[in-house]
Amino acid sequence: MEFKDYYNALEIERTASEDEVRKAYRKLARKYHPDVSQEADAETRMRDINEAYDVLRDKDKRAAYDALAERVKSGRAYADGGAGAGGHGFQPPPGWDEGFEFERRGGGPADDADFSEFFSSLFGAAQRRQAHRSQAAAKGEDQHAAIEIDLHTAFQGGERELQLRALELDAQGQPNFVQRTLQVRIPAGVRPGQYIRLAGQGLPGSGGQPAGDLYLEVRIAPDARYRVEGHDLTMLLPVTPTEAALGAQVEVPLPNGDVVEVGIPAGSRHGRKLRLKERGFAGKTPGHLYLELQIALPPADSAEARAAYEALAQASRGFDPRRAMNNPTGARA
Amino acid sequence: MTTVRHTTVSLLTCTPVDEQHPLRIAELAHAAGSRVEWVLELVEAGVIHPAAPEAPREQWTFHSEALQRAVNTRRLQRDFDVGVDAAALILDLQQEVRRLRALLGPHRTA
Repeated sequence: MEFKDYYNALEIERTASEDEVRKAYRKLARKYHPDVSQEADAETRMRDINEAYDVLRDKDKRAAYDALAERVKSGRAYADGGAGAGGHGFQPPPGWDEGFEFERRGGGPADDADFSEFFSSLFGAAQRRQAHRSQAAAKGEDQHAAIEIDLHTAFQGGERELQLRALELDAQGQPNFVQRTLQVRIPAGVRPGQYIRLAGQGLPGSGGQPAGDLYLEVRIAPDARYRVEGHDLTMLLPVTPTEAALGAQVEVPLPNGDVVEVGIPAGSRHGRKLRLKERGFAGKTPGHLYLELQIALPPADSAEARAAYEALAQASRGFDPRRAMNNPTGARA
Repeated sequence: MTTVRHTTVSLLTCTPVDEQHPLRIAELAHAAGSRVEWVLELVEAGVIHPAAPEAPREQWTFHSEALQRAVNTRRLQRDFDVGVDAAALILDLQQEVRRLRALLGPHRTA
């Protein structure tokens, strides 16, 4: 785990005032917001900027961060590593990146789910946990994290392990990292953007009140076979020219593991989309599964295959696939 | 010097926030780190919609999309001091950009 320079991320001096921090954040957020930015690394930059701002805008967090930066500089922090850690810093466990615990304060930043391990380690539940003990009875705060699952798990459910780290202060006020491993059973039929709620896994309550909940926002990992568009899925379905021209029944695998037989209508063109109604993600308005036909040519690698192609050419002599190209006026008619 | 303490929690209950398990108004407010009055403001401005708006307020329930939009609004308000209406517009534009980008799919250049 790297030590992150938040001042550098916001392109400000260490002495920057609160106002300067805010201005720097707003300027960079507009520049790197992934929805508007053309920069290749916009998403990473935005995450760093959000994370840096979340710490530097808060007096307590900023002071804790400055103190830690000082310790790192003098080589007193991060001595404990865990397996394979070299130099300073410990090695994050595999698959760590999707689970980030954070403390939401002053309004839930959605993007916190993307914050780095460094952030979560530093500014997890710790300080709040301490603070809560001395406060009046109140339910613990809810926490948010993101979980990336594959399409198969989204449709069929499955178990996943999540690693969350937080910093806790011990009785002497010394920071300790606490790594929580959560074994999560993902229910079948979840969709992208949906939240999964883990009751009682948020911050502890005070005065005998229950702990808050942990909300996991579902993200779907890119899939080699299906493309996700909202609640819909699109799959490229290769068909032979014969199947496309004459129609056919072909077997199609569904994301839930089933296989269905689909009728390819005669005279289908390359790129034609067939809809399997409500075979996308479940929900109040279920998504659909679209099959986009891709015409795959059988190779002309035998005398027989070549003869068949030649026979086809003979039989369709009037067919000119480039007619529109040669006669633009005709194309418009 | 820092040390790492490990704890393992086995979970049996894990509920999707959906039509069968929606959030009540107080739960949504708590999850977004705010108050019920603020949620009412969002509904009033059309940022989020209860599952059955015709029901009395105390019976309103919300799904995942409302939670996502509420959390995003909170962030926009905090970071940019925007009003609820401006936040709603930003969220809608954001959603539209993402929808159009998804339509571009593989044709989209990096």
